[in-house]
Amino acid sequence: MPAAWWTRKRHYLLYFVREFTALPMALWLLWFLVEIKRAGAGSAGYVPHSSIAFVIFSVICLLFALYHSVTFLSLAGVILHPKVMGRPVPPRLVVLAMFGQWAVASIVIGAVLIGFAR
Amino acid sequence: MATRFDPDKDSAPRLQSYDIPFPDESMVVLDGLNYIKAHVDGTLSYRWSCRMGICGSCGMMVNGTPKLTCNAFLRDYWPKPVIVEPLSNFPIIRDLVIDMEDFMHKLKSIKPWIIRKQEIPLGAGEHRQTTSQIDDFRQFSQCINCMLCYAACPVYGLNDEFLGPAAIALARRYNLDSRDQGLKERLPVIADSEGIWECSFVGECSVVCPKGVDPAKAIQQTKLDTTMRFLLPYGNREP
Repeated sequence: MPAAWWTRKRHYLLYFVREFTALPMALWLLWFLVEIKRAGAGSAGYVPHSSIAFVIFSVICLLFALYHSVTFLSLAGVILHPKVMGRPVPPRLVVLAMFGQWAVASIVIGAVLIGFAR
Repeated sequence: MATRFDPDKDSAPRLQSYDIPFPDESMVVLDGLNYIKAHVDGTLSYRWSCRMGICGSCGMMVNGTPKLTCNAFLRDYWPKPVIVEPLSNFPIIRDLVIDMEDFMHKLKSIKPWIIRKQEIPLGAGEHRQTTSQIDDFRQFSQCINCMLCYAACPVYGLNDEFLGPAAIALARRYNLDSRDQGLKERLPVIADSEGIWECSFVGECSVVCPKGVDPAKAIQQTKLDTTMRFLLPYGNREP
């Protein structure tokens, strides 16, 4: 297999991007750990929002995270095969349920974080 | 253009160009190869049999995509050139003929037949199944072992120890069959590190499958079922 096999087809490329998105997300989490460590030295040390580089990097990582989440949840209809009353649930409903849970979880976590910030 | 390779003479496969007539829009790539074989160059080697998309023997790379050549219409490529190559990810024996030994070995390893712990005597009647029980595995039973999914799978291309899409899809076909009791015999093979867990869900196997089998779905669902068997109480019970 040539090293650039993933450039041969659009499907391969999209798969590669999907898998690659995990890397910037992992880097962001590492950076976030550094920021938390700095916060341990007191409030004066914790100023991540004033770092333009961190904000730009976070926005880029957010886009990658959204792409990863959307592609991952869209595949749930292929993977999960629940049955209700002995009949298989249509994959579209499974995907819809996944996105619904994602939205609810995001709202709850956002509310908790905002609540703590206040 | 078609790949030519004679292991006794050539150090590497090469492409040979042929001009063939295209008188009929129903002509398929396999017809083109048969024309070359009959009228231009009788030494061209390739596999084919039924010409109806059933036997699965005429799978080749057509313009870089795994296809059954009996099901690839020249009108879909004309007027551009058609490049026919042997299936990717397999050793080439000669011209367009690949070595299927690895696939046959893997296919056998998952025991693609109904396994019973105790056979029911013929006099007791047939094994009855509801339509719902048949629907559980019907899709995966459509596999014709054409190996297009292996040619499309970059995971298999990078690691030929990977059990591969068709073998796992067929294992699932039998594991889902209400008449079968062989899940525990197949689990060591399909749940091995070179089995389902090697798949990273590229999904191209399902795109190229000419019978709509969806091996990627079979693999991901087997991953989920295997995990649930491990996690849930009594999950490892007898099937």
